[in-house]
Amino acid sequence: MSDIYDETAAEREMATYPAGESRKGFFTDTTLCIGCKACEVACKEWNQLPADGYAFTGNSYDNTGELNGSTWRHVAFVEQLRGGATAPSPPPQQSKSQSQAQSQGTASGDHQVLRADAGRWLMESDVCKHCTHAACLDVCPTGALVRTEFGTVLVQQDVCNGCGYCVPACPFGVIDKRDYDGHAGKCTLCYDRLQDGETPACAKACPTESIQYGDVEELRTRADARLAKLQREGQYTDASLYLRDTGDGIGGAGAFFLLLDKPEVYGLPPDPFDTTRDLGRLWRHAGYAALALVGVTALAALGTRR
Amino acid sequence: MNVSDETLPTAADTGDVPKSASYYGRPIVKPHVWKPYIAWYFWIGGAAGAASVECVCARMRGADALATVEKRAALAGVLVAPVLLIADLGVPSRFINMLRVFKLTSPMNLGSWILTAFGGAIGASTFAELLGWKRTSRALEVVAAGLGPALTVYTAVLIADTATPVWHEAGDTLPFVFAASGVASAGAVGVAFAPSQQNGSARRLMIGGAIGLLAAGATMEKRLGPLLGEPYRTGTGGSFRATSGALSAAGIVVGLLGHKNRTASRLAAACVAAACVLERFAVSAAGKQSAQDPKYTIEPQRARLNARRDLDLESSG
Repeated sequence: MSDIYDETAAEREMATYPAGESRKGFFTDTTLCIGCKACEVACKEWNQLPADGYAFTGNSYDNTGELNGSTWRHVAFVEQLRGGATAPSPPPQQSKSQSQAQSQGTASGDHQVLRADAGRWLMESDVCKHCTHAACLDVCPTGALVRTEFGTVLVQQDVCNGCGYCVPACPFGVIDKRDYDGHAGKCTLCYDRLQDGETPACAKACPTESIQYGDVEELRTRADARLAKLQREGQYTDASLYLRDTGDGIGGAGAFFLLLDKPEVYGLPPDPFDTTRDLGRLWRHAGYAALALVGVTALAALGTRR
Repeated sequence: MNVSDETLPTAADTGDVPKSASYYGRPIVKPHVWKPYIAWYFWIGGAAGAASVECVCARMRGADALATVEKRAALAGVLVAPVLLIADLGVPSRFINMLRVFKLTSPMNLGSWILTAFGGAIGASTFAELLGWKRTSRALEVVAAGLGPALTVYTAVLIADTATPVWHEAGDTLPFVFAASGVASAGAVGVAFAPSQQNGSARRLMIGGAIGLLAAGATMEKRLGPLLGEPYRTGTGGSFRATSGALSAAGIVVGLLGHKNRTASRLAAACVAAACVLERFAVSAAGKQSAQDPKYTIEPQRARLNARRDLDLESSG
């Protein structure tokens, strides 16, 4: 909100990551995602996270639903069909000849025919953003959440006492408290694999290189080039980079995205911010309220009968 | 994983593009996961903080009976508060980790230190009193009263320092709601338990606090605007808030009319105390509601983005 914050965000980021250390992250290019969910599975396997159960959401092919304490990758499925519907109509009951006719591109009956231009599916593998200014890290009262040598945000499981403060603080609704052990949990960017110079499990498993892992600086260059190419070619003119800009409310993210629609369509906040940037103002008003409390109490006691 | 079907895509039903696009109506930010212990703590901690101030004020004008009542209330508060806080932790045995760092960016960490220091002061003061060390006891009461206001208002900063829309956007007014609630509760304790010849100031505090609570709550809702004010008017948050308002009003009227009658005064004190508890529950519930519906996250952020874009266009053109 304040201009000062926006102007100094890039400087503050440089101060956060000392020279010589390279910040690691993800660039998720949603134009390449095929919705296979290999990232979800690889993440669960490597990090030994329990299954989510067999829920059926009815929301396209997304039965994972959300990121939470034990789900650190989540593939979103958005169906955008002609006419503005976001969910498919029931499958038409059709004879064999009809379906042959449709495959030749001629519409028949009341049913909308799914041709190549009838709409599109958006798929996006969501993950912890590893914010430059991370609200979860700022508010954590125990110091369980730390910034690692890779510039990532990590929950130290042996320190976290499960106070739950990080949960409403995260502007993306990523981190969550787990029922089964009481800790907060989220993506670690596979901290253990990084220490051994390995690629995080999700990026390793991604068959289309939709999830790209590397040095954040290099990924940003790569993302800029990809965006420029897409716009030049004209197929994805509405493509945009999300959280790549260090001037945004979180000072840019370690995990950023190339999106084809507005962020909220994918369940992402359009203008996320680190709540801590307003902390000075919040305490100031709390100070006024505390003074009012003392003033009122003294006033009630002063110069009057008992 | 929670799969509720109340917010399935509206577009599928109407065939239209929804007014505010979202991902199947699912929340963007996560609602807080605190159990009701925390709402109770907000009330008890807030009341204890304000009671310590009232204790010193009463002491200064020689109303010792009232001062003792307020001090006992503060002591009871700091004895119960850690139990409530620890009960809410995911790993209660690690409660002491709250004090392993001193962290200015975490209101919960600072609050843990404030509560510890405040509890220490009130506890030590009571202990000194038992030993007959009157001056030490009085001095420690003043120390506690210095920390009391911070104990009362820090919880407002704590919840405003989140991405929960109705909390963050109400950051300027929430501390006044919490301060008023603390003052009214401390006053109610004095009215209910102090001898009637000494509780005049407590009565004024109780009624003044209750009026302040109504005013601060109304201001907060007004400043949140039509959209973000909604969680305080609908659902559980709305019910808690309406009930709290009615109890405040009842407490004010009964407290003013029945100030000569002991039973009426106690009834008024009970009404005001209940109103203060319910206000905390209203804030908790409204916070949850505002996180559960993505429109409260998306629409203000969109408005902010558009305003910024207009500003850029202005400055560049």
